[in-house]
Amino acid sequence: MATVNATGPVLAARHLQLGFGGEVVLDDVSLEVRPQEFVAVVGASGVGKSTLLRALAGLLPPLQGQVSLSPPSEPSSRSWSMVFQAPRLYPWRRVLANVELGLEGLPLSRPERHQRAREQLALVGLEDLGGRWPRTLSGGQQQRVGIARALAVKPQVLFMDEPFSALDAITRRRLQGELSQLRQRTEAAIIFVTHDIEEAALLADRVMVLGKPETRQPARVTTTVPIDLALAKRQNRAGFTDLVQTLERHIGSETAGTQQEPQS
Amino acid sequence: MKNLPRSKRTLASACGLTGLVLLWELSLRAGLLPGNLVPLPSSIPAEFLAELRDGIWLEVVLASLSHYSIGVLIGSVLGISVGVSAALMPGFDAAQSWLARLLRPIPPLAWIPFAIIWFGVTETAAAFIISIGVFWINYFTSYSAVRAIEPSYYEVATVFGQGRFVDRLQKVSLPAAAPGILGGLRAGLGQGWMTVVAAELFGIPGIGQRMMEASGLLATDIVVVYMLTIAALYALFDYLFIMVQRRVLRWQQ
Ligand SMILES: Nc1ncnc2c1ncn2[C@@H]1O[C@H](COP(=O)(O)OP(=O)(O)OP(=O)(O)O)[C@@H](O)[C@H]1O
Ligand SMILES: [Mg+2]
Repeated sequence: MATVNATGPVLAARHLQLGFGGEVVLDDVSLEVRPQEFVAVVGASGVGKSTLLRALAGLLPPLQGQVSLSPPSEPSSRSWSMVFQAPRLYPWRRVLANVELGLEGLPLSRPERHQRAREQLALVGLEDLGGRWPRTLSGGQQQRVGIARALAVKPQVLFMDEPFSALDAITRRRLQGELSQLRQRTEAAIIFVTHDIEEAALLADRVMVLGKPETRQPARVTTTVPIDLALAKRQNRAGFTDLVQTLERHIGSETAGTQQEPQS
Repeated sequence: MKNLPRSKRTLASACGLTGLVLLWELSLRAGLLPGNLVPLPSSIPAEFLAELRDGIWLEVVLASLSHYSIGVLIGSVLGISVGVSAALMPGFDAAQSWLARLLRPIPPLAWIPFAIIWFGVTETAAAFIISIGVFWINYFTSYSAVRAIEPSYYEVATVFGQGRFVDRLQKVSLPAAAPGILGGLRAGLGQGWMTVVAAELFGIPGIGQRMMEASGLLATDIVVVYMLTIAALYALFDYLFIMVQRRVLRWQQ
Protein backbone atom coordinates (compact mmCIF):
# COMPACT_ATOMS: atom_id res chain seq x y z
CA MET A 1 0.00 0.00 0.00
CA ALA A 2 1.82 3.07 -1.25
CA THR A 3 1.14 6.49 0.17
CA VAL A 4 0.59 9.41 -2.17
CA ASN A 5 3.92 10.91 -1.34
CA ALA A 6 5.82 7.78 -0.49
CA THR A 7 9.14 9.48 -1.07
CA GLY A 8 8.51 12.90 0.47
CA PRO A 9 8.55 13.51 4.21
CA VAL A 10 5.42 12.59 6.16
CA LEU A 11 6.13 15.37 8.60
CA ALA A 12 8.04 18.58 8.12
CA ALA A 13 8.58 21.30 10.69
CA ARG A 14 10.44 24.47 9.83
CA HIS A 15 11.95 26.91 12.32
CA LEU A 16 9.45 26.22 15.05
CA GLN A 17 9.34 28.52 18.01
CA LEU A 18 7.17 27.25 20.85
CA GLY A 19 6.19 28.70 24.18
CA PHE A 20 3.48 29.71 26.57
CA GLY A 21 2.26 33.18 27.43
CA GLY A 22 5.15 35.12 25.94
CA GLU A 23 7.82 32.78 27.30
CA VAL A 24 9.72 30.86 24.64
CA VAL A 25 10.42 27.26 25.58
CA LEU A 26 11.85 25.92 22.31
CA ASP A 27 13.39 27.85 19.45
CA ASP A 28 14.37 27.14 15.86
CA VAL A 29 13.43 23.48 15.70
CA SER A 30 13.36 22.03 12.21
CA LEU A 31 12.65 18.42 11.48
CA GLU A 32 11.79 16.23 8.51
CA VAL A 33 10.57 12.71 8.99
CA ARG A 34 10.49 10.17 6.16
CA PRO A 35 7.82 7.48 5.90
CA GLN A 36 8.38 4.69 8.42
CA GLU A 37 11.32 6.44 9.97
CA PHE A 38 11.83 6.19 13.74
CA VAL A 39 13.06 9.42 15.29
CA ALA A 40 13.84 9.62 19.00
CA VAL A 41 13.80 12.95 20.82
CA VAL A 42 15.87 13.08 24.00
CA GLY A 43 16.60 15.85 26.46
CA ALA A 44 16.46 16.75 30.10
CA SER A 45 13.18 16.99 31.96
CA GLY A 46 11.35 20.24 31.26
CA VAL A 47 13.35 20.98 28.13
CA GLY A 48 10.18 20.94 26.03
CA LYS A 49 9.92 17.46 24.56
CA SER A 50 6.22 17.05 25.21
CA THR A 51 5.64 20.60 24.05
CA LEU A 52 7.39 19.82 20.76
CA LEU A 53 5.32 16.67 20.30
CA ARG A 54 2.08 18.55 20.88
CA ALA A 55 3.11 21.23 18.40
CA LEU A 56 4.07 18.65 15.77
CA ALA A 57 0.67 17.02 16.25
CA GLY A 58 -1.06 20.35 15.79
CA LEU A 59 -2.41 20.45 19.35
CA LEU A 60 -0.36 23.55 20.18
CA PRO A 61 -0.06 26.41 17.71
CA PRO A 62 3.59 27.48 17.29
CA LEU A 63 4.63 31.06 18.02
CA GLN A 64 6.60 30.98 14.79
CA GLY A 65 7.31 28.53 12.01
CA GLN A 66 5.09 25.87 10.57
CA VAL A 67 4.36 22.20 10.65
CA SER A 68 3.04 20.16 7.78
CA LEU A 69 1.79 16.65 8.24
CA SER A 70 0.87 14.49 5.31
CA PRO A 71 -2.83 13.72 5.03
CA PRO A 72 -4.30 10.31 5.92
CA SER A 73 -3.23 7.57 3.54
CA GLU A 74 -6.82 6.39 3.05
CA PRO A 75 -10.27 7.61 4.13
CA SER A 76 -10.48 5.12 6.98
CA SER A 77 -7.27 6.28 8.63
CA ARG A 78 -5.98 9.33 10.48
CA SER A 79 -2.85 11.21 9.67
CA TRP A 80 -1.43 10.85 13.18
CA SER A 81 -2.12 9.44 16.61
CA MET A 82 -0.44 9.33 19.98
CA VAL A 83 0.67 7.09 22.83
CA PHE A 84 0.99 8.83 26.18
CA GLN A 85 3.19 8.31 29.20
CA ALA A 86 0.20 6.96 31.15
CA PRO A 87 -2.10 4.57 29.27
CA ARG A 88 -5.02 7.02 29.54
CA LEU A 89 -7.64 4.42 28.67
CA TYR A 90 -11.28 5.23 29.30
CA PRO A 91 -12.19 3.11 32.34
CA TRP A 92 -15.86 3.06 31.31
CA ARG A 93 -15.08 1.33 28.03
CA ARG A 94 -14.03 -2.26 27.66
CA VAL A 95 -10.59 -2.86 26.19
CA LEU A 96 -11.85 -3.45 22.66
CA ALA A 97 -14.01 -0.32 22.75
CA ASN A 98 -10.99 1.66 23.91
CA VAL A 99 -9.06 0.49 20.86
CA GLU A 100 -12.01 1.53 18.69
CA LEU A 101 -12.09 5.10 19.97
CA GLY A 102 -10.16 6.60 17.06
CA LEU A 103 -12.10 4.56 14.52
CA GLU A 104 -15.41 6.14 15.49
CA GLY A 105 -16.21 8.81 12.96
CA LEU A 106 -14.14 7.13 10.26
CA PRO A 107 -16.08 5.61 7.37
CA LEU A 108 -16.12 2.10 8.79
CA SER A 109 -19.06 -0.14 9.61
CA ARG A 110 -19.40 -1.48 13.13
CA PRO A 111 -18.14 -4.99 12.18
CA GLU A 112 -15.20 -3.44 10.33
CA ARG A 113 -14.38 -1.41 13.42
CA HIS A 114 -14.50 -4.46 15.68
CA GLN A 115 -12.42 -6.38 13.18
CA ARG A 116 -9.73 -3.71 12.96
CA ALA A 117 -9.61 -3.29 16.74
CA ARG A 118 -9.27 -7.04 17.25
CA GLU A 119 -6.40 -7.18 14.76
CA GLN A 120 -4.58 -4.43 16.61
CA LEU A 121 -5.10 -6.14 19.95
CA ALA A 122 -3.67 -9.31 18.46
CA LEU A 123 -0.69 -7.31 17.22
CA VAL A 124 0.16 -6.33 20.80
CA GLY A 125 -0.57 -9.85 22.04
CA LEU A 126 -3.82 -9.09 23.86
CA GLU A 127 -6.37 -10.72 21.57
CA ASP A 128 -8.02 -12.47 24.51
CA LEU A 129 -8.51 -9.40 26.66
CA GLY A 130 -10.86 -7.37 24.45
CA GLY A 131 -13.82 -7.96 26.74
CA ARG A 132 -12.07 -6.91 29.95
CA TRP A 133 -12.38 -3.61 31.79
CA PRO A 134 -9.16 -1.58 31.74
CA ARG A 135 -8.79 -1.61 35.54
CA THR A 136 -8.38 -5.39 35.44
CA LEU A 137 -5.24 -5.10 33.28
CA SER A 138 -1.66 -4.72 34.47
CA GLY A 139 0.19 -1.47 33.74
CA GLY A 140 2.11 -3.06 30.89
CA GLN A 141 -1.04 -4.53 29.38
CA GLN A 142 -2.77 -1.16 29.61
CA GLN A 143 0.11 0.52 27.83
CA ARG A 144 -0.10 -2.13 25.09
CA VAL A 145 -3.80 -1.31 24.69
CA GLY A 146 -2.77 2.34 24.35
CA ILE A 147 -0.40 1.34 21.54
CA ALA A 148 -3.10 -0.74 19.84
CA ARG A 149 -5.52 2.19 20.09
CA ALA A 150 -2.96 4.46 18.41
CA LEU A 151 -2.07 1.97 15.67
CA ALA A 152 -5.71 1.16 14.91
CA VAL A 153 -6.21 4.42 13.02
CA LYS A 154 -3.33 3.49 10.66
CA PRO A 155 -1.52 6.75 11.25
CA GLN A 156 1.13 8.23 8.99
CA VAL A 157 2.91 9.48 12.07
CA LEU A 158 2.76 7.95 15.52
CA PHE A 159 3.79 10.21 18.40
CA MET A 160 4.96 8.47 21.55
CA ASP A 161 5.60 10.56 24.65
CA GLU A 162 7.78 8.53 27.05
CA PRO A 163 5.46 5.56 26.56
CA PHE A 164 7.48 3.19 28.71
CA SER A 165 8.82 5.42 31.45
CA ALA A 166 6.05 4.58 33.91
CA LEU A 167 6.72 0.84 33.63
CA ASP A 168 9.04 -1.37 35.65
CA ALA A 169 12.39 -2.26 34.07
CA ILE A 170 11.44 -5.77 33.01
CA THR A 171 8.17 -4.75 31.35
CA ARG A 172 9.93 -1.80 29.75
CA ARG A 173 12.55 -4.07 28.14
CA ARG A 174 9.84 -6.38 26.88
CA LEU A 175 7.75 -3.60 25.39
CA GLN A 176 10.83 -2.05 23.77
CA GLY A 177 11.45 -5.39 22.04
CA GLU A 178 7.82 -5.60 21.01
CA LEU A 179 7.87 -2.08 19.61
CA SER A 180 10.88 -2.80 17.40
CA GLN A 181 9.06 -5.90 16.13
CA LEU A 182 5.87 -3.92 15.62
CA ARG A 183 7.73 -1.40 13.49
CA GLN A 184 8.19 -3.95 10.74
CA ARG A 185 4.44 -4.39 10.56
CA THR A 186 3.21 -0.81 10.53
CA GLU A 187 3.33 1.94 7.98
CA ALA A 188 3.71 4.65 10.56
CA ALA A 189 6.71 6.86 11.07
CA ILE A 190 7.38 7.13 14.80
CA ILE A 191 8.45 10.13 16.81
CA PHE A 192 9.44 8.86 20.20
CA VAL A 193 10.17 11.07 23.19
CA THR A 194 12.30 9.60 25.95
CA HIS A 195 14.87 10.59 28.49
CA ASP A 196 16.42 7.13 28.35
CA ILE A 197 19.42 7.31 26.04
CA GLU A 198 19.78 3.57 25.71
CA GLU A 199 16.16 3.29 24.75
CA ALA A 200 16.64 5.93 22.06
CA ALA A 201 19.74 4.22 20.71
CA LEU A 202 18.06 0.83 20.77
CA LEU A 203 14.95 1.82 18.87
CA ALA A 204 15.58 4.85 16.67
CA ASP A 205 16.99 5.50 13.22
CA ARG A 206 17.92 8.97 14.31
CA VAL A 207 18.20 10.66 17.70
CA MET A 208 17.48 14.35 18.08
CA VAL A 209 18.92 15.91 21.20
CA LEU A 210 17.23 18.97 22.71
CA GLY A 211 19.15 21.17 25.12
CA LYS A 212 19.61 24.66 26.38
CA PRO A 213 22.72 26.42 25.11
CA GLU A 214 22.60 28.43 28.33
CA THR A 215 20.31 28.40 31.31
CA ARG A 216 17.38 30.77 31.02
CA GLN A 217 17.55 30.54 27.23
CA PRO A 218 15.06 28.62 25.15
CA ALA A 219 16.12 25.08 24.26
CA ARG A 220 17.21 24.16 20.76
CA VAL A 221 18.22 21.10 18.81
CA THR A 222 21.74 20.49 20.11
CA THR A 223 22.55 17.75 17.68
CA THR A 224 21.02 14.99 15.61
CA VAL A 225 22.76 11.62 15.58
CA PRO A 226 21.90 9.11 12.86
CA ILE A 227 22.05 5.51 13.95
CA ASP A 228 22.91 3.15 11.15
CA LEU A 229 23.47 0.00 13.12
CA ALA A 230 21.18 -2.81 12.03
CA LEU A 231 18.52 -3.66 14.54
CA ALA A 232 19.89 -7.15 15.11
CA LYS A 233 23.31 -5.74 15.87
CA ARG A 234 21.90 -3.36 18.40
CA GLN A 235 20.13 -6.14 20.16
CA ASN A 236 23.33 -8.15 20.19
CA ARG A 237 24.99 -5.15 21.76
CA ALA A 238 27.84 -5.16 19.21
CA GLY A 239 28.85 -1.56 18.89
CA PHE A 240 25.87 -0.59 20.96
CA THR A 241 27.89 0.64 23.91
CA ASP A 242 29.88 2.92 21.58
CA LEU A 243 26.67 4.35 20.29
CA VAL A 244 25.28 5.06 23.73
CA GLN A 245 28.57 6.64 24.73
CA THR A 246 28.53 8.91 21.68
CA LEU A 247 25.04 10.04 22.55
CA GLU A 248 25.93 10.51 26.16
CA ARG A 249 28.87 12.67 25.11
CA HIS A 250 26.52 14.87 23.13
CA ILE A 251 24.08 15.22 25.95
CA GLY A 252 26.96 15.54 28.42
CA SER A 253 28.59 18.37 26.46
CA GLU A 254 25.23 20.09 26.32
CA THR A 255 24.77 19.98 30.08
CA ALA A 256 28.42 20.89 30.62
CA GLY A 257 27.88 23.89 28.36
CA THR A 258 25.41 25.29 30.81
CA GLN A 259 28.05 25.39 33.49
CA GLN A 260 31.18 26.38 31.64
CA GLU A 261 31.89 29.41 29.54
CA PRO A 262 31.22 28.49 25.93
CA GLN A 263 34.51 28.05 24.05
CA SER A 264 35.07 30.65 21.36
CA MET B 1 -14.16 1.51 64.76
CA LYS B 2 -14.16 -2.20 64.01
CA ASN B 3 -16.78 -3.49 61.60
CA LEU B 4 -19.07 -6.30 62.63
CA PRO B 5 -19.44 -9.24 60.25
CA ARG B 6 -22.48 -8.92 58.03
CA SER B 7 -24.67 -11.52 59.74
CA LYS B 8 -24.04 -10.03 63.19
CA ARG B 9 -24.80 -6.58 61.86
CA THR B 10 -28.12 -7.67 60.43
CA LEU B 11 -28.98 -9.40 63.67
CA ALA B 12 -28.13 -6.35 65.77
CA SER B 13 -30.14 -4.06 63.48
CA ALA B 14 -33.16 -6.38 63.69
CA CYS B 15 -32.84 -6.48 67.48
CA GLY B 16 -32.67 -2.71 67.67
CA LEU B 17 -35.82 -2.27 65.64
CA THR B 18 -37.93 -4.99 67.29
CA GLY B 19 -36.64 -3.93 70.69
CA LEU B 20 -37.90 -0.39 70.23
CA VAL B 21 -41.27 -1.55 68.89
CA LEU B 22 -41.65 -3.95 71.82
CA LEU B 23 -40.72 -1.28 74.33
CA TRP B 24 -43.23 1.07 72.75
CA GLU B 25 -46.00 -1.55 72.79
CA LEU B 26 -45.32 -2.56 76.38
CA SER B 27 -45.13 0.96 77.76
CA LEU B 28 -48.46 1.79 76.12
CA ARG B 29 -50.04 -1.33 77.56
CA ALA B 30 -48.58 -0.60 80.97
CA GLY B 31 -50.07 2.89 80.76
CA LEU B 32 -46.68 4.61 80.80
CA LEU B 33 -47.56 6.48 77.55
CA PRO B 34 -50.86 8.22 76.81
CA GLY B 35 -52.80 6.14 74.26
CA ASN B 36 -54.29 9.10 72.43
CA LEU B 37 -50.90 10.48 71.39
CA VAL B 38 -49.27 7.39 69.90
CA PRO B 39 -50.88 4.33 68.36
CA LEU B 40 -50.37 0.81 69.58
CA PRO B 41 -47.88 -0.87 67.20
CA SER B 42 -49.90 -4.07 67.17
CA SER B 43 -52.91 -2.16 65.85
CA ILE B 44 -51.07 -0.97 62.75
CA PRO B 45 -51.39 -4.13 60.58
CA ALA B 46 -55.16 -4.25 61.08
CA GLU B 47 -55.43 -0.59 60.25
CA PHE B 48 -53.33 -1.12 57.13
CA LEU B 49 -55.61 -3.96 56.00
CA ALA B 50 -58.65 -1.78 56.56
CA GLU B 51 -57.20 1.02 54.42
CA LEU B 52 -56.35 -1.54 51.78
CA ARG B 53 -59.82 -3.08 51.83
CA ASP B 54 -61.52 0.28 51.43
CA GLY B 55 -59.37 0.97 48.40
CA ILE B 56 -58.06 4.13 50.03
CA TRP B 57 -54.50 2.92 50.32
CA LEU B 58 -54.13 2.09 46.64
CA GLU B 59 -55.86 5.29 45.58
CA VAL B 60 -53.71 7.68 47.61
CA VAL B 61 -50.51 5.77 46.90
CA LEU B 62 -51.16 5.87 43.15
CA ALA B 63 -51.95 9.57 43.32
CA SER B 64 -48.77 10.33 45.26
CA LEU B 65 -46.73 8.09 42.98
CA SER B 66 -47.92 10.05 40.00
CA HIS B 67 -46.94 13.43 41.55
CA TYR B 68 -43.70 11.91 42.69
CA SER B 69 -42.76 10.37 39.33
CA ILE B 70 -43.57 13.45 37.33
CA GLY B 71 -41.83 15.76 39.79
CA VAL B 72 -38.74 13.58 40.07
CA LEU B 73 -38.54 13.05 36.32
CA ILE B 74 -38.81 16.74 35.47
CA GLY B 75 -36.52 17.84 38.30
CA SER B 76 -33.88 15.27 37.40
CA VAL B 77 -33.89 15.89 33.66
CA LEU B 78 -33.74 19.66 34.10
CA GLY B 79 -31.23 19.51 36.95
CA ILE B 80 -28.84 17.27 35.03
CA SER B 81 -29.24 19.23 31.80
CA VAL B 82 -28.61 22.59 33.42
CA GLY B 83 -25.81 21.27 35.64
CA VAL B 84 -23.95 19.55 32.80
CA SER B 85 -24.43 22.48 30.43
CA ALA B 86 -23.18 24.98 32.99
CA ALA B 87 -20.14 22.82 33.65
CA LEU B 88 -19.30 22.59 29.95
CA MET B 89 -20.17 26.05 28.63
CA PRO B 90 -18.40 28.94 30.34
CA GLY B 91 -20.79 31.53 28.92
CA PHE B 92 -23.84 29.73 30.19
CA ASP B 93 -22.11 29.01 33.48
CA ALA B 94 -21.50 32.71 34.05
CA ALA B 95 -25.03 33.61 33.00
CA GLN B 96 -26.66 31.21 35.46
CA SER B 97 -24.22 31.54 38.34
CA TRP B 98 -25.82 34.41 40.31
CA LEU B 99 -29.30 33.22 39.48
CA ALA B 100 -28.51 29.81 40.95
CA ARG B 101 -26.97 31.36 44.04
CA LEU B 102 -30.08 33.48 44.55
CA LEU B 103 -32.67 30.74 44.04
CA ARG B 104 -30.85 27.82 45.61
CA PRO B 105 -31.45 28.69 49.30
CA ILE B 106 -35.21 28.96 48.81
CA PRO B 107 -36.75 25.75 50.22
CA PRO B 108 -39.12 23.91 47.86
CA LEU B 109 -42.08 24.47 50.22
CA ALA B 110 -41.65 28.23 49.98
CA TRP B 111 -42.80 27.86 46.38
CA ILE B 112 -46.24 26.59 47.46
CA PRO B 113 -47.96 30.00 47.14
CA PHE B 114 -46.66 30.42 43.61
CA ALA B 115 -47.47 26.82 42.75
CA ILE B 116 -51.10 27.45 43.74
CA ILE B 117 -51.28 30.81 41.96
CA TRP B 118 -49.77 29.39 38.77
CA PHE B 119 -51.30 25.93 38.66
CA GLY B 120 -54.20 26.03 41.13
CA VAL B 121 -54.73 23.21 43.59
CA THR B 122 -53.81 20.61 41.00
CA GLU B 123 -51.53 17.66 40.55
CA THR B 124 -49.27 19.89 38.47
CA ALA B 125 -48.73 22.12 41.49
CA ALA B 126 -47.61 19.16 43.60
CA ALA B 127 -45.31 17.86 40.86
CA PHE B 128 -43.86 21.35 40.49
CA ILE B 129 -42.96 21.60 44.17
CA ILE B 130 -41.46 18.12 44.21
CA SER B 131 -39.39 18.90 41.13
CA ILE B 132 -37.75 21.93 42.75
CA GLY B 133 -35.87 20.07 45.46
CA VAL B 134 -34.95 17.30 43.04
CA PHE B 135 -33.73 19.86 40.54
CA TRP B 136 -31.21 21.44 42.90
CA ILE B 137 -29.72 18.16 44.05
CA ASN B 138 -29.23 16.99 40.48
CA TYR B 139 -28.01 20.36 39.34
CA PHE B 140 -25.24 20.55 41.92
CA THR B 141 -24.05 16.97 41.77
CA SER B 142 -23.93 16.85 37.99
CA TYR B 143 -22.25 20.26 37.80
CA SER B 144 -19.47 19.24 40.16
CA ALA B 145 -19.15 15.75 38.67
CA VAL B 146 -18.52 17.19 35.21
CA ARG B 147 -16.19 19.84 36.62
CA ALA B 148 -14.09 17.15 38.31
CA ILE B 149 -13.34 15.26 35.06
CA GLU B 150 -9.63 14.95 34.38
CA PRO B 151 -8.64 17.17 31.43
CA SER B 152 -6.49 14.35 30.08
CA TYR B 153 -9.64 12.42 29.11
CA TYR B 154 -10.61 15.29 26.85
CA GLU B 155 -7.12 15.44 25.39
CA VAL B 156 -7.39 11.77 24.46
CA ALA B 157 -10.71 12.53 22.75
CA THR B 158 -9.12 15.33 20.75
CA VAL B 159 -6.15 13.17 19.74
CA PHE B 160 -8.46 10.45 18.47
CA GLY B 161 -10.67 12.77 16.45
CA GLN B 162 -13.51 13.03 18.98
CA GLY B 163 -13.02 16.72 19.74
CA ARG B 164 -16.44 17.98 18.60
CA PHE B 165 -18.74 19.16 21.37
CA VAL B 166 -21.26 16.36 20.88
CA ASP B 167 -18.56 13.70 20.85
CA ARG B 168 -16.87 15.07 23.94
CA LEU B 169 -20.21 15.22 25.73
CA GLN B 170 -21.22 11.72 24.76
CA LYS B 171 -17.85 9.98 24.93
CA VAL B 172 -16.20 11.75 27.86
CA SER B 173 -18.35 14.10 29.94
CA LEU B 174 -21.37 11.88 30.50
CA PRO B 175 -19.64 8.54 31.10
CA ALA B 176 -16.88 10.08 33.22
CA ALA B 177 -19.38 12.01 35.33
CA ALA B 178 -21.85 9.11 35.50
CA PRO B 179 -20.92 8.05 39.05
CA GLY B 180 -21.58 11.55 40.36
CA ILE B 181 -24.69 12.11 38.27
CA LEU B 182 -26.18 8.81 39.42
CA GLY B 183 -25.38 9.69 43.03
CA GLY B 184 -27.37 12.90 42.56
CA LEU B 185 -30.25 11.04 40.97
CA ARG B 186 -30.38 8.70 43.93
CA ALA B 187 -30.36 11.53 46.44
CA GLY B 188 -33.13 13.16 44.37
CA LEU B 189 -35.26 10.02 44.62
CA GLY B 190 -35.10 10.38 48.41
CA GLN B 191 -35.64 14.13 48.38
CA GLY B 192 -38.75 13.62 46.24
CA TRP B 193 -40.46 11.55 48.95
CA MET B 194 -39.64 14.16 51.54
CA THR B 195 -41.50 16.86 49.65
CA VAL B 196 -44.34 14.70 48.35
CA VAL B 197 -46.23 14.73 51.64
CA ALA B 198 -45.76 18.45 52.21
CA ALA B 199 -46.79 19.23 48.65
CA GLU B 200 -50.11 17.42 49.21
CA LEU B 201 -50.93 19.04 52.52
CA PHE B 202 -52.79 21.89 50.89
CA GLY B 203 -55.52 19.72 49.42
CA ILE B 204 -54.12 17.76 46.52
CA PRO B 205 -55.22 14.13 46.86
CA GLY B 206 -52.48 11.73 47.88
CA ILE B 207 -50.69 10.28 50.89
CA GLY B 208 -50.13 13.69 52.42
CA GLN B 209 -53.77 14.65 52.30
CA ARG B 210 -54.84 11.33 53.80
CA MET B 211 -52.37 11.83 56.65
CA MET B 212 -53.79 15.30 57.30
CA GLU B 213 -57.31 13.90 57.42
CA ALA B 214 -56.28 11.16 59.80
CA SER B 215 -54.44 13.51 62.14
CA GLY B 216 -57.52 15.72 62.26
CA LEU B 217 -59.39 12.74 63.63
CA LEU B 218 -56.49 11.87 65.95
CA ALA B 219 -56.23 8.56 64.07
CA THR B 220 -52.55 8.26 64.75
CA ASP B 221 -52.48 4.63 63.65
CA ILE B 222 -53.48 5.65 60.13
CA VAL B 223 -50.78 8.30 60.13
CA VAL B 224 -48.24 5.64 61.03
CA VAL B 225 -49.57 3.32 58.28
CA TYR B 226 -48.71 5.99 55.71
CA MET B 227 -45.40 6.86 57.30
CA LEU B 228 -44.42 3.23 56.91
CA THR B 229 -45.84 3.21 53.39
CA ILE B 230 -43.53 6.04 52.42
CA ALA B 231 -40.58 4.29 54.01
CA ALA B 232 -41.39 1.12 52.08
CA LEU B 233 -41.84 2.94 48.78
CA TYR B 234 -38.57 4.76 49.32
CA ALA B 235 -36.79 1.50 50.08
CA LEU B 236 -38.26 -0.10 46.97
CA PHE B 237 -37.27 2.75 44.67
CA ASP B 238 -33.83 2.98 46.20
CA TYR B 239 -33.31 -0.74 45.77
CA LEU B 240 -34.40 -0.70 42.14
CA PHE B 241 -32.18 2.30 41.52
CA ILE B 242 -29.15 0.60 43.04
CA MET B 243 -29.72 -2.36 40.71
CA VAL B 244 -29.69 -0.05 37.70
CA GLN B 245 -26.73 1.90 39.04
CA ARG B 246 -24.67 -1.26 39.54
CA ARG B 247 -25.26 -2.21 35.99
CA VAL B 248 -24.43 1.22 34.55
CA LEU B 249 -21.29 1.51 36.68
CA ARG B 250 -20.10 -2.05 36.14
CA TRP B 251 -16.77 -0.67 34.99
CA GLN B 252 -16.11 0.71 38.47
CA GLN B 253 -16.23 -2.27 40.81
N1 LIG C 1 0.47 24.44 29.41
C1 LIG C 1 1.61 25.04 29.79
N2 LIG C 1 1.61 26.33 30.20
C2 LIG C 1 2.76 26.95 30.57
N3 LIG C 1 3.96 26.37 30.56
C3 LIG C 1 4.04 25.09 30.15
C4 LIG C 1 2.87 24.35 29.74
N4 LIG C 1 3.24 23.10 29.40
C5 LIG C 1 4.57 23.07 29.57
N5 LIG C 1 5.06 24.25 30.02
C6 LIG C 1 6.46 24.56 30.29
O1 LIG C 1 7.22 24.27 29.15
C7 LIG C 1 8.43 23.67 29.50
C8 LIG C 1 8.59 22.35 28.76
O2 LIG C 1 7.63 21.44 29.24
P1 LIG C 1 7.48 19.98 28.64
O3 LIG C 1 6.34 19.33 29.31
O4 LIG C 1 7.43 20.07 27.16
O5 LIG C 1 8.84 19.32 29.10
P2 LIG C 1 9.39 17.84 28.83
O6 LIG C 1 10.66 17.96 28.11
O7 LIG C 1 8.33 17.02 28.19
O8 LIG C 1 9.68 17.33 30.30
P3 LIG C 1 9.48 15.87 30.93
O9 LIG C 1 10.63 15.03 30.48
O10 LIG C 1 9.56 16.12 32.40
O11 LIG C 1 8.16 15.34 30.48
C9 LIG C 1 8.44 23.52 31.00
O12 LIG C 1 9.22 24.57 31.53
C10 LIG C 1 7.01 23.68 31.39
O13 LIG C 1 6.90 24.30 32.63
MG1 LIG D 1 7.05 15.39 28.86
